[in-house]
Amino acid sequence: MTDLSVRIGGLTLPNPVMPASGTFAEGLAQAIDLNRLGALVTKTITRELRAGNPLPRVAEVAGGMLNAIGIPSKGVAYFRDVTLPLYRGWSPPLVVSISAPTAEGFAELAAEISLPGVAAIEANISCPNIEEDGRAFAMKPASTAIVVRQLRAATALPLWVKLTPNTGEIAEVAKAAEAEGADALVCANTILAMAIDPHSFKPRLGNLLGGLSGPAIKPIVLRQLYQCARAVRLPIIGCGGIMTALDAVEYLLAGAVAVQIGTATFLDSAAMPNIIDGLDRFCDARGLASVSELTGAIRHEETDEEDLSWLSPPT
Amino acid sequence: MPCQQEALVTANYPLTGDYWLVEIDSPEIAGSLRPGQFVNIRVSGGPSTFFRRPFSVYRVSADRTRLQVAYKLVGEGTRLMSTTLPAGARCDIIGPLGKGFSIPPRARRIAVVGRGIGIAALPTLMDEAVGQGIEVHGFISARDPANLVAADIFSEHGCSLITHTDTEQPGGLVTDHLSALLSQIPFDAFYVCGSNRLVRAVHRMALRTGVPAEAAMEQHMACGFGDCHGCVIEVNKDMLGTSKAFREVCHHGPVFNTWEVVDGRA
Ligand SMILES: Cc1cc2nc3c(=O)[nH]c(=O)nc-3n(C[C@H](O)[C@H](O)[C@H](O)COP(=O)(O)OP(=O)(O)OC[C@H]3O[C@@H](n4cnc5c(N)ncnc54)[C@H](O)[C@@H]3O)c2cc1C
Ligand SMILES: Cc1cc2nc3c(=O)[nH]c(=O)nc-3n(C[C@H](O)[C@H](O)[C@H](O)COP(=O)(O)O)c2cc1C
Ligand code: FES
Repeated sequence: MTDLSVRIGGLTLPNPVMPASGTFAEGLAQAIDLNRLGALVTKTITRELRAGNPLPRVAEVAGGMLNAIGIPSKGVAYFRDVTLPLYRGWSPPLVVSISAPTAEGFAELAAEISLPGVAAIEANISCPNIEEDGRAFAMKPASTAIVVRQLRAATALPLWVKLTPNTGEIAEVAKAAEAEGADALVCANTILAMAIDPHSFKPRLGNLLGGLSGPAIKPIVLRQLYQCARAVRLPIIGCGGIMTALDAVEYLLAGAVAVQIGTATFLDSAAMPNIIDGLDRFCDARGLASVSELTGAIRHEETDEEDLSWLSPPT
Repeated sequence: MPCQQEALVTANYPLTGDYWLVEIDSPEIAGSLRPGQFVNIRVSGGPSTFFRRPFSVYRVSADRTRLQVAYKLVGEGTRLMSTTLPAGARCDIIGPLGKGFSIPPRARRIAVVGRGIGIAALPTLMDEAVGQGIEVHGFISARDPANLVAADIFSEHGCSLITHTDTEQPGGLVTDHLSALLSQIPFDAFYVCGSNRLVRAVHRMALRTGVPAEAAMEQHMACGFGDCHGCVIEVNKDMLGTSKAFREVCHHGPVFNTWEVVDGRA
């Protein structure tokens, strides 16, 4: 039996596998035992009620999908009165994803949802910032610093900051979040993308642009996580295109302490429990006492003959 | 409770017109399926068939161990279904999903109206209704006679059927026949799928006669079980259409009341 538990800042999770924000809802309890997960992460909550984007909101592309769901939020009161009591029925720590168009809005929302039963806040700063011409906070170190500083002052809960892969300076953004008191980073959100139907000449999403997720983005986000891991000491949660336990292992080797699974669950509702079991078997096969031994264990030096056997695929 | 499994394909062959029929051995899904619910099939072998493909269940075997899907060859996914799922293959399928049709208690006579692939949602409803001793009248339309899928099932049950095809009766509407018939026969419920124009027409008749009407809707889906909010359509929250909301087709539907889904032009 491998020790699958991991520590993220002050929080200990029973295992490193949790859903990615927006890809998970209570309905999944019909298909899998939610108590097996490392944590539960809500869809991003906003203060204002939002209806979401024009239709259609999803489209498939080679190796992944585009979404322009928008953030159809039912608001804070709904979260407090309906969602939160419901989630108290499950044992994994509850992580609440939040978003706001201004740094102040972020701080107010963080304070409002710092409620008993909430284990951590995940700030989705990949959303448009109206004070910066709609550019996401996480595009720049300076705007990241401002919003994380305000968030830090607003809540005593562990603060996770979710980065955008659309920036060209992700390591600097990660450093800014660390300097302002973030407890962990999530790397990363979706990659801005588009698709056009060559027969109808129409964009495949009602919103024209959307976020790319799924296996197509894994090599890119893995590289970004690796760059962040080398730049900061904060625990980092890997997220992007993880479909199998071996994908999760890649993220851990690059420096992640845990992983989030999004799109994979859409294709296979048991993706998360399967990845947990797969990680367990993987560690067992290699005689690792704890899954956390994989974190940052990427080997840069040349391996000799004996080491190569370690790399043979699990059975 | 939906179930995901690698089920055995027992047959897969051209049905009629552009349609193929795949038969899948799944007592779990076939046993609990309600008319109007759907299944989500994983198609593999193509670089860009990433999502599962949603399909109505066309028919369930009498012993409720096998289900059939009548699918129209549309794009890469459905073409791959016709080539990669021969009898003996395994098919990754989830179901039953969504909310199906409801038959009002004490209903004696219903009308089912469908166009194109929408017709494929009707036979399970027809089987159930006929089983309850309800009289079913069918009104189906398609591009050409070969694509009038399910016409044989109506005659198998001895149900009255009015068909319409664009090639044989250009410009006409299947609902013209329906409204003519309405003045002679009272229906207790209407069911419609396959075209927004038909949904509007059926809704108008339902309003006039004060009879409930349901429509099966389609939308592109990512997860198929209510998690991603990807498959929403805009619906009326009340019968006056004064306030609107987005609802997931996979979870709140695919069957809606027609008053929920008709737009302002109804
Ligand atoms: C609840 C429901 C029940 C359905 N029942 C049937 C049925 O019984 N028989 C049948 O032939 N078809 C049915 N359809 C439509 C069927 O899902 C599509 O024809 C099929 O997905 C096309 O896939 P493709 O790869 O061949 O086409 P492509 O056009 O290449 O598909 C590209 C993408 O668009 C999606 N897509 C394309 N058309 C539709 C559509 N009409 N609805 C939803 N997604 C679509 C595909 O799933 C895929 O993700 C149903 C759809 C829904 C939502
Ligand atoms: C349908 C959909 C909705 C999403 N909604 C949110 C959201 O509300 N908040 C957020 O931070 N990320 C959201 N994401 C991004 C995911 O959390 C995740 O970062 C991304 O999909 C990459 O992971 P994956 O490849 O495993 O899906 C969404 C992704 C998808 C596909
Ligand atoms: S397809 Fe995901 S909510 Fe309907």
